[in-house]
Amino acid sequence: MNPQDMKPKHEPWYRSKTFKRFRRNPLAITGTVMLIIFVVVAFLAPAITAPQLATIRSARPCVRNLGLKRGEVVQALRNPLKLTFWRAAIKPPKSCYNIPRAGYSPLPKPPSKEHPFGLTSGSYDILYGLTWGARTAFYIGFLVVGISLAIGIVIGGVSGFLGGWVDNLIMRVVDVMLAFPRLVFVMIVSVIFGSGLTQVMLALAVVGWVGYARFFRGDILKTKAQDFVDAARALGSSPTRIFFKHVVPNSIGTLLILASMDVGSIVLTAAGLSFLGLGAPVGYADWGQMISFARGYILGTAQGTPFDFWYVWIFPSVVLVLFGLAWNLLGDAVRDALDPKS
Amino acid sequence: MLNYIIRRSLQIPMVLFVLSLIIVGLMQLLTPQQRAAAFVKSDKQIEHLDQIIKKYHLDEGFLVQYELWAREVLRGNLGFSRISKEPVTTTIRKRLPASMELALSAFIPIVLVGVWLGTIAATHRDGILDQALRVVAIIGWSLPTFVMAIWLVAWVYGGLGWFGIGRLPNSMLIDLATGHFHRYTGMYTLDGLLNGRWDVFFQALKRLVLPATALVIVVSAGIMRVMRSSMLDELGKDYVRTARAKGLMQKAVIYKHAWRNALIPVITMAGPMLGRMIGGIVVIELIFNFPGLGEWAAKAALQLDMTTLLAFVMLIGLIMASANLLVDIAYVIVDPRIRYE
Repeated sequence: MNPQDMKPKHEPWYRSKTFKRFRRNPLAITGTVMLIIFVVVAFLAPAITAPQLATIRSARPCVRNLGLKRGEVVQALRNPLKLTFWRAAIKPPKSCYNIPRAGYSPLPKPPSKEHPFGLTSGSYDILYGLTWGARTAFYIGFLVVGISLAIGIVIGGVSGFLGGWVDNLIMRVVDVMLAFPRLVFVMIVSVIFGSGLTQVMLALAVVGWVGYARFFRGDILKTKAQDFVDAARALGSSPTRIFFKHVVPNSIGTLLILASMDVGSIVLTAAGLSFLGLGAPVGYADWGQMISFARGYILGTAQGTPFDFWYVWIFPSVVLVLFGLAWNLLGDAVRDALDPKS
Repeated sequence: MLNYIIRRSLQIPMVLFVLSLIIVGLMQLLTPQQRAAAFVKSDKQIEHLDQIIKKYHLDEGFLVQYELWAREVLRGNLGFSRISKEPVTTTIRKRLPASMELALSAFIPIVLVGVWLGTIAATHRDGILDQALRVVAIIGWSLPTFVMAIWLVAWVYGGLGWFGIGRLPNSMLIDLATGHFHRYTGMYTLDGLLNGRWDVFFQALKRLVLPATALVIVVSAGIMRVMRSSMLDELGKDYVRTARAKGLMQKAVIYKHAWRNALIPVITMAGPMLGRMIGGIVVIELIFNFPGLGEWAAKAALQLDMTTLLAFVMLIGLIMASANLLVDIAYVIVDPRIRYE
């Protein structure tokens, strides 16, 4: 008999009780809908901002790299039957991530017909920064979670598989890193690595793997204690075969689901760093930076009303909070569905 | 018990050791030239990078460098801070009271709000109030500290003109520097009281309200969730049913019986809560122009002042490790069922 047969039988995921619990939770649905909107906005960023690309002079490198002439930008980017539409949405040139500047004025400008969300100080278009920033947010979130997961799975796996002093050493390091405030830790590591988007993402991953390693190790120890692993051992499978064929596939599922829910908090932390000034270069479409553009204008002008420049900080901060909220609503519902007792 | 406390306190240096290994280890990822930048105090020195590399043995291996660094730290020399232009220890002594004042003033409201809302959510389980509080908690959890701080500055300080930012008005700071104002603790609220200067006390308190509120909103959500689930746990237990069966009022059942036991798991939250608070304080101090340790560290990060940051990390590590020790001890005192060998 194959030891795999001793495992509890699984029904398809969409019929499982877990998914039913998730589906019936109104907060889960709200979170999912919000996220879908974010995905759509991120995907359609070139189409949404086509008028800005067409009119603002400093958007020329992006337009040129897309192989377009100035007159045809809006038409090409908004027509799903054209190839450029898909090229711009799926793999736009890097130059498109630079927010076009409609001038060099240090004073923000209120929303107008050409700039629906207004201009920040330095005349960066807010709508452009937010829509393209959504793409940056998803990119940062998924890549960082992916890298941290890879590191966490390898280190947690080694720790759980080998046990003994290796396990002890790794877990002490994990304890120390988990007890340390995350934002401060990421701040220091990104200072060590230097500023820039890639560096900040690396710093987030260097700090982020810890929780996954501990979770994966704990799960491995739990799975190792189950009957089917004993059965496999009795049949003479080698420890390596048991580990990779039986233990890992049984432990990894929950980890993957829980980790994917961290995308939101990663993006929030990255935005915090960006706000501090550690992050993407100036002018790169990134939400944290959009908020830091607003820093000098939160209180309005000295002689005017305090809310003179409301648009520079309200739009970016609300978008950022909604993004975090969507992921947390989803994550909360997922954790609830996986563990209905809590 | 005493034995346990002693053994547990011996772990603190261990934690700091591991932490310093991690940080110094990460620094090895840089080239000697990049690391030398951390020692550069003036523009002139940039031309003499090679000498700096030699002087601080930056081209040597990890062990040699770690030993050099650790020897200085053990002597109490944490280095010279480029940001504040004075020895790191001096700055810490100056700025620690400000951050402590902020943390302490936020701590009690955080616990009260978290425990109170958690209790309400648990006693109204699955009702409208519970659902609403759940959403509130998720929103609180999703709000990045810097966004919350900006909103408070813009709406309450900028829009309504209430409270204030900074620690004290400039005119008062000048007044204090020239007059006879004895600094007992470095916290202006306490010192104001001790010196009998009510104006200082009120001004300092007024300026603590907004940053503390930002911390309360961001941090208390976590406590609320723990309180809710531990309260639900207790309410489902037999002794609660017995208490109800003998005809006790709902209030007596909740506050006399279930509450005390439900509070125990909340104590474990103190560690993570402190961590979130410290992260929050860094950003909040920067936005509220509050000259504490967090603002210093944030500015050091922007200026790539590694010496300052290393000292900051070790200080935070010390605080976190001590806090976790206190939590463990408090746990034994509060819950006599737990025995430590």
